[in-house]
Amino acid sequence: MKVEDVVCPFCGCLCDDLVVEVEGTRVVSVENGCTLANEKFLGDNRLTSPIRRAGGAWQQVSYEEAIEETAAILLDADRPLLYGWSGTHGEAQSIGVHLGELLGALIDNTSTVCHGPSIMAIQEVGHPGCTLGQVKNRADVVVYWGTNPIDAHPRHMSRYTTFADGFFLTDAFLERKVIVVDVRKSESANIADEFVKIEPGGDYAVLAALRAIVRGKRSLIPSFVSGVSREQLFRVADTLLGAKFGAIFFGLGLTMSRGRYKNVRNAIELTAELNRHTKWTISPMRGHWNVYGSNEVFTWISGYPYAVDFARGIAFYNPGETTSVDVLRRGECDACLVVASDPGAHFPRACAEHLARIPTVQIDPHVNATTHLARLQIPVAVTGIDAEGTAYRMDGVPIRTRKLFTGRYPSDTDVLMKIYDRVKEEKGHG
Amino acid sequence: MSFILNTGRTIRQGSYVERKNTPAYREEASTLYMHEVDMLDREIESGDHVRVESTQGAVVMRVLPAAWLSRGEVFVCLGPYANHLVGAETHCTGMPDFKDTPVNITPTDAPLVSVADLMEQCGGVRYEG
Amino acid sequence: MAELLIRNAFVIDPLSGIRGEIKDIAIRDGKIVEDTGANAEVIDAQGCLTLPGGIDSHSHVCGTKVNFGRYMSPEDMRAGRTSRKGVMHVTSGYSVPTTFGNSYRYSTMGYTTVLEGAMAPLEARHTHEEFTATPHQDMLANTLFDGNWSVMEAVRDKDVKRAAAVVAWTLAAVKGFAIKLTNPGGTEAWGFGKDVHSIHDTVPHFGVTPAEIIDTMIRANEILNLPHSVHLHCNNLGVPGNYQTTLETIERVPDLHARRQTLYLTHAQFHSYGGSTWKDISSKSEDIARMVNARPQVAIDMGQVMFGRTTTMTADGPMEFKLYMLHQNKWSNHDVELETGSGIIPVFYSRKSLVNCVMWAIGLELALLTRDPWQCMLSTDNPNGAPFIKYPEIIALLMSRRFRDRESELLEPRTGHYVPLFAIDRELDWYEIAVMTRAAQAKALGITSIGKGHLSPGAEADIAIYPLKPQEIDPSAEYKQVMAGFGKTRYTIKRGRVVSRDGEVVVEGANSTIWTKARIPPELDLSSDPEFVKKFEQYYTVRMSNYPVQDVYLPRGVCIGTEASL
Repeated sequence: MKVEDVVCPFCGCLCDDLVVEVEGTRVVSVENGCTLANEKFLGDNRLTSPIRRAGGAWQQVSYEEAIEETAAILLDADRPLLYGWSGTHGEAQSIGVHLGELLGALIDNTSTVCHGPSIMAIQEVGHPGCTLGQVKNRADVVVYWGTNPIDAHPRHMSRYTTFADGFFLTDAFLERKVIVVDVRKSESANIADEFVKIEPGGDYAVLAALRAIVRGKRSLIPSFVSGVSREQLFRVADTLLGAKFGAIFFGLGLTMSRGRYKNVRNAIELTAELNRHTKWTISPMRGHWNVYGSNEVFTWISGYPYAVDFARGIAFYNPGETTSVDVLRRGECDACLVVASDPGAHFPRACAEHLARIPTVQIDPHVNATTHLARLQIPVAVTGIDAEGTAYRMDGVPIRTRKLFTGRYPSDTDVLMKIYDRVKEEKGHG
Repeated sequence: MSFILNTGRTIRQGSYVERKNTPAYREEASTLYMHEVDMLDREIESGDHVRVESTQGAVVMRVLPAAWLSRGEVFVCLGPYANHLVGAETHCTGMPDFKDTPVNITPTDAPLVSVADLMEQCGGVRYEG
Repeated sequence: MAELLIRNAFVIDPLSGIRGEIKDIAIRDGKIVEDTGANAEVIDAQGCLTLPGGIDSHSHVCGTKVNFGRYMSPEDMRAGRTSRKGVMHVTSGYSVPTTFGNSYRYSTMGYTTVLEGAMAPLEARHTHEEFTATPHQDMLANTLFDGNWSVMEAVRDKDVKRAAAVVAWTLAAVKGFAIKLTNPGGTEAWGFGKDVHSIHDTVPHFGVTPAEIIDTMIRANEILNLPHSVHLHCNNLGVPGNYQTTLETIERVPDLHARRQTLYLTHAQFHSYGGSTWKDISSKSEDIARMVNARPQVAIDMGQVMFGRTTTMTADGPMEFKLYMLHQNKWSNHDVELETGSGIIPVFYSRKSLVNCVMWAIGLELALLTRDPWQCMLSTDNPNGAPFIKYPEIIALLMSRRFRDRESELLEPRTGHYVPLFAIDRELDWYEIAVMTRAAQAKALGITSIGKGHLSPGAEADIAIYPLKPQEIDPSAEYKQVMAGFGKTRYTIKRGRVVSRDGEVVVEGANSTIWTKARIPPELDLSSDPEFVKKFEQYYTVRMSNYPVQDVYLPRGVCIGTEASL
């Protein structure tokens, strides 16, 4: 059976034009997808049943036992951490937040090690953005800053920017100018019209220089700013100012490097400044297919996009304090529920060590690095393949992922709802 | 410390991300890219193993040359190998120094370890079911 | 059979012609009935003011830009927070509360139905997700068509049938309720950083004017026989001198509907400015009210501004940018491909600012100068003029000249020279307040026939009992009691069930979402129109099959079906 207009649950592009062929409970072919999509749909590497670690060995357990034990671990904890959420659908994320308020837990999503600093910057200065179709139909200048879409968002350029024809640009490749700014000459830099190579840690200064030029202060610019020549800065600024519609996309090159959220703030303020002259928008290149959904769901329920601490009853948020890496580094949490992500692989070593010390439960379809750190893992269906639910694209457009077949695994929603009901039974309404 | 460790996504890392216990993932996640002149300086050949050490710990990686890096920088895709070296300090931002970790690099004959090995070093118990 | 009997209620039910009398109200299975059996649960209202559940006909509470208002404002989130308690979830936020925060606060004020003022079709799924998490109010979504390319093409081709077809397809696809035009044409122009400055400016690339868009959409709306009229946020919002644009717009409105207005002009306060700059801005409420009084085919809501901190959010992207240039605080913008725009900035309305004082006065003046309360509804354009929790204070201001005079002493001293407010003696009575907060909304939205806004047999048993005894209290003098009374019901009853008591929510709640579906002839069905499908696939970034909001997002959807006159 061929299913059309399938939504890809890999990266924040959330492409929804895949054609997937299914035989029984197996995907046999994928059309229109990138390498990442193909691997995701064709991957056949599921953990087949819940597993529990007993001493130095692993054993299979039933779903009922695994759910009962998860609830017991969470109820027994004084400071549980509920982490992950970006790789599942919104309905499951919603149960997660309600579980968090019920337990007085700390709940955080993968933004914490991704675009968390972008959120902090937006909370300082706002976010002039747009949906991706605005860029596709209008943008004559596109800037990729500290991001390498060819590797991380392989179809971003063909669907939304460089190669995407739109209403006002009928031959995008010729009419649209692409600028890549990075510390290294990435694959994406190779196909840019202009590559700006910055010294590591120099993003803030280069952004500040561009802001100064846009404000008419060319005379202030020294001959080089963080490795970028004055001539190139002037040229880039002229391109930015000459755009009819410009779009900046930025990545972890800004959020993870020195300056963090101040880099992003500077990029947003450059965008705001450019809007005094012409139209510009700026957008973070969100990584996981539904990380933005976790921000949305967390926000409408708790008021905050990530790092929400319910320990005091109310929702409390203070990134740097209530963020997962900090909580783990301080050895503060005494149990952890990981849903749809892999902190064992993607958190610093000291955090992985703490996850191994405390009872960590993982809800995830696959064996990953966190598996080895956990006490218990519950395999679930993969959203977008054998489970469905809401996802939010990197630009905030909500799309419902499809269920291509009914397999043998429960969804994240099924498992979390059972855990929630067990916890509620014990806690009552109190 | 003689190099700055930068991390980021690669398409191969992304492709194998749901199969972290396979040799393919291990190969990608433990590959360290280095400027060719730096390799010459240190007498490192393409494919050689090196011991990469930060204040947080040490891990063995395999070196490949990269013209797209500046001297003094090395690149490893994000994942458990790189994170064995990255500290948990976030400077009150929640975000560790994923793109900015000073490391020392020395040639070694030691073998590459698996993801399960790394997690055992963190106190876990390998699952090989 | 769940039965409830409310005894000794001082009932004002304007749609049923009840202007204040002590009555019993019988309820069975969520509906008002003639009488109940002997076993009915009884609530003794003790002569307290009892009204149909409140209806907000223009509020921003759910969806992409509202949530972004929360997302970007931790300072607002921590300015209002409550713990999980009983059936109540954690809430955060002052001017843009979390969904449960909105729902609980509305419920304790006696509101049972709320219309979200602006939903971008492409992002409708988000609005519906938040509707489901707003459990104590039945929800409706105004659907944005101001910059819709297919609409503008139909307008250019003078093809009102085509415009109607676009509306019908879109409303059905996104489960929307009514047509919303926000700065028509301006949001498309903002796609390239421009705006339109009069209703006769041409929208770049599309060759149509705001006036043509408004005219066509009014006719399309009536062809489709939609329950509500076109819901318009006029061009030039917030611009000194904009009352001319507003008057010109109203003058064009034909009278096409027997039972309701033909055009609903929202947050009229923001559109009633004289002067030419921020320095000489003045109130033109008299001109606007005079025009409204002469045109029964229009209805307005106040868009009252109240002093203090709030967050402004609208689909009117260019207007928010102008505000950002004034305030230089943080600014968010979110343009939506082929459809509309949006912007958000935080603001502080100060009694020390002459401009803000003039704005404050204009809203009240519009309510006091519009003769027929059915034509002017109470609103703050929540949260743009103020958070809706200020409604009780606004009611008190409208009911008490003394309160207004007391307030005037606190204003920027020059205010009196720029506004007529302090020469107006009118004090609204309980009946007029009941009209302006529920009955007029139900009529204007066209939802009386599904049992909203009244208490006659067959109606939904949505009822608010306020701790106010109209026979004992003089609102002109005792305005503080009025304010407190409207702030916290003794009972809020939703579909026959007590949902909140004395400020505390007592059940989890389960709301409905009301949407409209107009039946049109198959030859006008755009889902099989090759031209429409081709353009959709070419210019949207979402496939047409993934665009419609699936039924699963409306667990308790109520569809109002209409038959188009085509």
